[in-house]
Amino acid sequence: MTDKSKKPGGLSRRILLQRGATFAAAGVAGGLTGFPFINKMAVRAQSAPLKFWQFYAPGGPVKTQIDWFDKTVSNWNDSHEQKIELEYIPTSEYVNGPKLATAFASGEGPDVFLISPGDFLRYYNGGVLQDLTPHIDDAAKADFPENVIANRMVDGKIYGLPMEVEPMAMYYSVKAFEEAGLNENDIPATWEQLLQLAKKLTTANRYGVLFETQPGYYQNFTWYPFLWQGGGEFQTEDGKSAFDSPATVQALKFWQDAVNSGVAPRQVMGTGANDTVANLAAGYVAMQNVGIWGISQLANNAKDFKYGVFKLPTPPNGKYVTVGGGWAFVANAKGKNPDAAAAFCAWALASADKGSVGRVVDWCTKGKSDMPPRKSALEAGKADFDQGMIGTFAKNIYPGIRAEPRLPPEVYKIISDAIQQTQLGGADPQATATAASQQLDAFLGSYSGAPIL
Amino acid sequence: MADMIVHSKPVARRGLSAKHQEWLAGYIFILPDALGLLVFLGMPMVLSLVLGFFEVNGFGAYRFVGFGNYVRMYRDPLFWTALRATLLYAVVLVPSLYVCGLGLALLVQTTNRFNSVMRAMFFAPQMVSLVVVAVVWQFMVIDKIGLISRLMSMLGAGAVSFLGDPHFALLTIAFVSLWFLMGFYMLIFLGGLQDIPAEYYEAAKIDGAGPVARFWFITMPLLKPTSFFVIMVSMVAAVAGAQAFDIIYIMTKGGPANSTAVLIVYIYQQAFAFGAFGYAAAMASVLMLVTGLLFLFTRGGRFNYD
Repeated sequence: MTDKSKKPGGLSRRILLQRGATFAAAGVAGGLTGFPFINKMAVRAQSAPLKFWQFYAPGGPVKTQIDWFDKTVSNWNDSHEQKIELEYIPTSEYVNGPKLATAFASGEGPDVFLISPGDFLRYYNGGVLQDLTPHIDDAAKADFPENVIANRMVDGKIYGLPMEVEPMAMYYSVKAFEEAGLNENDIPATWEQLLQLAKKLTTANRYGVLFETQPGYYQNFTWYPFLWQGGGEFQTEDGKSAFDSPATVQALKFWQDAVNSGVAPRQVMGTGANDTVANLAAGYVAMQNVGIWGISQLANNAKDFKYGVFKLPTPPNGKYVTVGGGWAFVANAKGKNPDAAAAFCAWALASADKGSVGRVVDWCTKGKSDMPPRKSALEAGKADFDQGMIGTFAKNIYPGIRAEPRLPPEVYKIISDAIQQTQLGGADPQATATAASQQLDAFLGSYSGAPIL
Repeated sequence: MADMIVHSKPVARRGLSAKHQEWLAGYIFILPDALGLLVFLGMPMVLSLVLGFFEVNGFGAYRFVGFGNYVRMYRDPLFWTALRATLLYAVVLVPSLYVCGLGLALLVQTTNRFNSVMRAMFFAPQMVSLVVVAVVWQFMVIDKIGLISRLMSMLGAGAVSFLGDPHFALLTIAFVSLWFLMGFYMLIFLGGLQDIPAEYYEAAKIDGAGPVARFWFITMPLLKPTSFFVIMVSMVAAVAGAQAFDIIYIMTKGGPANSTAVLIVYIYQQAFAFGAFGYAAAMASVLMLVTGLLFLFTRGGRFNYD
């Protein structure tokens, strides 16, 4: 009897059962990580390096950008006790992917990370953005233009520090212009002229103009200026929907007309309409609605491609406005060491010392092609920001900038559906704007988070 | 009765009967897999069901809302759009997979060198990553300059935007899924065809049955179990949309105008783009239920000759 109850390995049944139970319990606990009823113990080890998640380094595709991140972090690590460690998340997983969402849902979010204004409210309302204000001195605070920092602030406190300002414009192919017998004098000033010009540039193998067609935050972002140019807004002053307006209808119709008349494609090449190399330089389109980062994209990947840039045309009785995006450093309020993480963000981008200003200049001129988010950086890098294509942006395009709005995901989706239904689904712009506005009102009536800007 | 009394005591002393020993050994063999399934499949499924009753913000805050997520689903027009798209996708894909899989299998069922090459060719898409498949097809059907778009306009069919027009996008996705999957089903049908004894065909030939008659009266009836399995597996795959997800996410992102946002894509968007994990879990439960019902109706693909 005793002999038979033993397993070949010499373990008694009782021990086997005990071990099995321990294993099963471990499995249960492991499976339950992040579940409401079992909270994980917060690990607050001061000595462990803080994780900085971004989509540039180490391992990103552009060397100058990797170098900038490497240098920034190693400079900090040389002079501070709390170390930072870079963790590279490929853009496809970071921007449109589940990486951050799953990390935060399971309580394993990074200590420092990058967000765009489009995502600000989700993270702020989720309670994971650390107040960076205590680490920023007043002089540096005043250094950020109001229209650049406003969408990263709540109740006068700064929760995100922008590393760049990225205005949208129109790029055109010089070769396509020449083939159609056009030159700089033909650059359009109105929407109407843009569509006429696009018609001249459309051939059997090429479209005249490209606006983003894929649904997503980026498509909404690129559509906003067309809404604003006619005086359109999302909200009235008293927090009601302002979406059912002639300006909305006109902006929806403009993109619809471009597709329906056959001068704009229903599909984009490469990674989307933010990709100048796969669309404009490859000859798929003659003009492309894209941001300032296109300069460094083309310089890095299509060196010999000749192009020009002009500011967004305007509708009848409209005024020139463009949208300025840009990513910002933020610190995780529920991270391992939120204070040190916040101090790092402020030290990197918002300190009064020369190193901090220099970093901003370097990022916007060497890492990428961007406008700087600080007045002192614009001053310090004046020579760089005044010349070439960035100079054109600084002189002609940047002055009409309006910050990318921060909207809750629900609002983003309502707008995205309205754009998609009219642009590609053939829906009536007026009926779509009215329906979207009703949905917006229903949502705004129950919204209780930080102000939508 | 007397037997029982005589045998019961010695059996208890000696341990398990041969039957029980076999039974125990069987369970010990499947134990590691069963444990894995339980921990990594069963438990997440149960947790997902539970999660469907909570409102979750994606940052650790949970609020019990009862059937709130299900009420929201009922009122959400996009949920119904997604459900319709899912059904349309399944309705288009399943019969086409059946016909193409069987057609290819019949085409290459005899073994010779040419057929071996053909089999390998038809099966080849299965070896390629879905991401690559999606990117290549995206390029082939892109407006104006895609190979297929060019061919269509050369044939005078006019400019069709395969992925940019809500009328065609889901059909295009279904076509790419078909292209990817049909080699796999061909292989299953080949197995089924090879199980049919050659004598039946010979006898039918002698009786004067032509190829069509042989197909209808011998192949099809004897292929019933395989057919049943193929329909069941492809239906579950189409409704759950596992393969479709990758293709859609790369080719259209659920657009244009939500036309390719099948349920699995909409669930993904709600969870990861909007952080509505509870709502997504509730929808996943519905998807699980639909898939489970399909499985039940088809008796899990078990089929008896009758």
